[in-house]
Amino acid sequence: VTPETKLHREKWLGFLLLLFPRDFRERFGSEMEQVFQEQKNEVHKEGGAMGMLRLWWETIVGVFRTAPSEHFSMLAQDVKYGIRMLRKNPAFAMLAILALTLGIGANTAIFSVLQSVLLRPLPYRDGQQIVVLHQPNLTNPDTGFSVPEKVDYSAAQSFSDVVEYHNMNFTILGKTIAERVKTGVVSANFFEMFGVKPILGRTFSPEDDKLGAPAVLIFSYEYWRKNQNGDPDIIGKTFEMNDRVHTVVGVLPPVPQYPDENDVFMPVSACPFRSSPGLIANRGGRMLSLFARLKPNVTVGQSQAELTAIASGLHKEYPKFYPAAKSYSVADALLKSELTQNARPTLIVLFVAATFVLLIACANVANLTLARMSRREKELMLRAALGAGQSRVLRQLVTEGLLIALPSALLGVGFAAGSLKLLAEFAARLTPRAREIHMDGWVLAFAIAAAVVTSVVFGSLAAFRSRKDIVTNLKESSSQSTSAAGKRTHGLLVVAQVAFSFVVLIGAGLMIRSLLNLQRTDPGFQPERVLTMRLDPNWSKSLKADQQLRAQQNRLLGRRLIEKLSSQPGFQSVALASGSPLSPDSLQNGPFANPFIIEGTVPTDAAAVPQSTQRAISPNYFRVIGTPLLRGRFFSESDLQESTPVAIISQSLADRYWKGADPTEKRISLDSGQTWLRIVGVVGNVRDFGIEHQPEDTIFVPVEQNPASRAVLIHAAGNAHSIELEARQAIQQVDPEIAISNVETLEDARAESLASPRVTAELLAIFAGLALLIATTGVGGVLALLVSQRTREIGIRMAMGAQRADVLRMVMGQGLGIVLIGIVIGAFGGLALTRLFKTLLYGVTPADPLTFVGVAAVFLAAAAIACYLPARRATQVDPLVALRSD
Amino acid sequence: VGLKDATNSDRGIEQQLTLPMLQVLIALASGDKHGYAILQEVSVDTNGRVRMSTGTLYSVIKRLLNEGMIQELRERPALELDDQRRRYYTITEFGRRLAAAELLRMESMVALARSRHLMSDPEKA
Repeated sequence: VTPETKLHREKWLGFLLLLFPRDFRERFGSEMEQVFQEQKNEVHKEGGAMGMLRLWWETIVGVFRTAPSEHFSMLAQDVKYGIRMLRKNPAFAMLAILALTLGIGANTAIFSVLQSVLLRPLPYRDGQQIVVLHQPNLTNPDTGFSVPEKVDYSAAQSFSDVVEYHNMNFTILGKTIAERVKTGVVSANFFEMFGVKPILGRTFSPEDDKLGAPAVLIFSYEYWRKNQNGDPDIIGKTFEMNDRVHTVVGVLPPVPQYPDENDVFMPVSACPFRSSPGLIANRGGRMLSLFARLKPNVTVGQSQAELTAIASGLHKEYPKFYPAAKSYSVADALLKSELTQNARPTLIVLFVAATFVLLIACANVANLTLARMSRREKELMLRAALGAGQSRVLRQLVTEGLLIALPSALLGVGFAAGSLKLLAEFAARLTPRAREIHMDGWVLAFAIAAAVVTSVVFGSLAAFRSRKDIVTNLKESSSQSTSAAGKRTHGLLVVAQVAFSFVVLIGAGLMIRSLLNLQRTDPGFQPERVLTMRLDPNWSKSLKADQQLRAQQNRLLGRRLIEKLSSQPGFQSVALASGSPLSPDSLQNGPFANPFIIEGTVPTDAAAVPQSTQRAISPNYFRVIGTPLLRGRFFSESDLQESTPVAIISQSLADRYWKGADPTEKRISLDSGQTWLRIVGVVGNVRDFGIEHQPEDTIFVPVEQNPASRAVLIHAAGNAHSIELEARQAIQQVDPEIAISNVETLEDARAESLASPRVTAELLAIFAGLALLIATTGVGGVLALLVSQRTREIGIRMAMGAQRADVLRMVMGQGLGIVLIGIVIGAFGGLALTRLFKTLLYGVTPADPLTFVGVAAVFLAAAAIACYLPARRATQVDPLVALRSD
Repeated sequence: VGLKDATNSDRGIEQQLTLPMLQVLIALASGDKHGYAILQEVSVDTNGRVRMSTGTLYSVIKRLLNEGMIQELRERPALELDDQRRRYYTITEFGRRLAAAELLRMESMVALARSRHLMSDPEKA
């Protein structure tokens, strides 16, 4: 055997050896190769391919059997050693675990919401193929579709299915009291198209949808659980609705509902409005929402093009229904983006903030590890000098990192699980998908990945640093010295911490400023001591009557309600209206503007047609809600059906069309000039549809002249909540079939309308608090380390005559200098990132100078406190002791 | 070098010797050997019944080294006579004592088993 063949490298064995830990390979690898070669030579001498096969087989099996146990024994060693190191520094371990738990916990919690709402596919069959159709015109973002339009658009080749939906409120009888139920009226194949399988019974069949078919109902999961106590025998039970007996045929699973959350569903034929022949034939009777399923491989863009083509055909064919001046169009959008568009900006902002908190926590742990490393330098130097490879040290440090990060991940997941219910409640204000929020494998994987990445990152940072120090420290004799590179790493980590915390603080600051602006904004009414309720008289009764009679019935009902409620003790004043400010209906549906005409003016084009929202009110309305009269008068008891039609307008409307002139005694018409209303008063603006929205131009009409009593508002002498029961009883006495819902005080309504920005601000404030705390302890900790390393230098300075104040200034200056650099970088980061925020802010710009300066001041103050402690310790250095210490 | 490293300070003497460890120690009892020679010796000692793979051999060697039962030899044959990758191992005094203790323990167990007729006496057989 020649020396060349002797040293011939075993390529295949080399690959196999890669399975062993690197240390093992470095120590024994070449020996193993050599042994293997001798084995091969021997087999070769004996001859025989079988022998060679057997050798390979035994070698491979041997490697696979021993390599894992080698890894495991090394891990066990590292873990045992790591635990011993951590037990030597319990304070370090606790601090690190606390910081990481909070970081990982906050991140995991927000991630599970983000994942459930934005990332997971819709819980419908091929949910990414479902689109929503919209028909906007110049004045209305979505007019809806009429029955003939539904037929026309259903012909589109892009869709495999088109289903309709509209929502009505009906009164359901069958229990002890009348109940108003939100009812989704849907095509028979509605649930089939969504791929929703009932948990009980069945969904609708085409037979259910035939005119005159027996009336059937499907309950939503929530209504079934809450209002029917999850009755397992609900299928086949009957309820009276719209004067007909309805049989329950199914119960839905908990699925997100869009655009409304409904209690029950009925097929098209069962809805008394939708099944009226007049509506079916009327192209302008737009009341339907349309959903469609894209055919496979059809994109939204393609379907959009087809819809536009159909629309332009219809516009030519039926110009009467699509006046050119109104510029009607049709568009479709993916259901998923419609469901989540409100939640997206908030969730992304929160996730970014939570990620920053985690990064800050990581930087803190890295810094703590580094600080600890400087005390372990001797040990690591020795290990390195004795042949522990770089990878061995890295492995040890990463294991120690994992010992901190994995328990933190565990605690963090627990923390996240605990907060999830609250977060889901919060998210419910932003998206119907909130009910799907839960933790799944992805979330757990996320938490563990966060922990592993964290420990690898700060472990390798520390290892990187240790290598540099080995060289430096072998040269320098002083155990106190820290290399310039080490100081720089500390400094950089602290700067990064400060910068990230500053951005989070800016975010919180902006949200809080925005919230304060909202809270300070005058809603235009005085919400104290006002109770509101939504009333729904039984529709079916008034349906049978003709319009005249129905109006008269409504008028009488209104009078009886006012009379009855006003006579209750503790009810100071009572009003009826067609709606109440900031009610759940107004918040969800937003304003609905109708055109009106001002006498003596002719609009130049469709865009210039005056628009306003309208509300019917009883004379006491403004007194109950405390909205001021600016001109003229309120409605009075003498504004009756037979007297002159009158109106009151809001200030914004008066300003827009009369520009400061007196609008009273002017006339307007809501019905294209058939009846003219005399303006008798101007009232202050009311933010009916959300405090963050500008007040809508509003025309008020007397409820006597436009009977539509949907809301009752009661100004209580005392606590508005305490009169709820009396109010309910009084209403039931007037008419037991009136369904009462949305009972709340105006204060509740106001708080509810601010809940989403408030919770966002609170969450960001919590994150900011964490960030500030972690970052300032980081600054303080690193400064303390630097001071302890500069003891000798400080001693010399003091021996040479430096005053304590000078030392204090020097150390504080060093600490605050680092903080200032961080703040400046953070400020630029903040300017770049807070643009994400724009849609979430009210009355404050993302670059609000006051917030930036204020947050910087808070940060500097906190950092000054954190720096003061180590700085004071520096001033207590005794020069004699310090000079001796080496 | 007497560095007290985690790798050997934590291992107790009471730790049991595994069969492969014992086999390597017995192989080294007849003289210092390099890895391949150990493999051959074990194979001869057991009449070819035990064929240790290189992976097993070196994980055993690693443990024996860590426990201080064997040592790597510093002197080695002249370079030209030898593959330079070879390393020679020798059993330490500690290794001898431990192997002896383990074998005695085994012997007493064998005696016990025999007294209870769990196995036949080789002299009678």
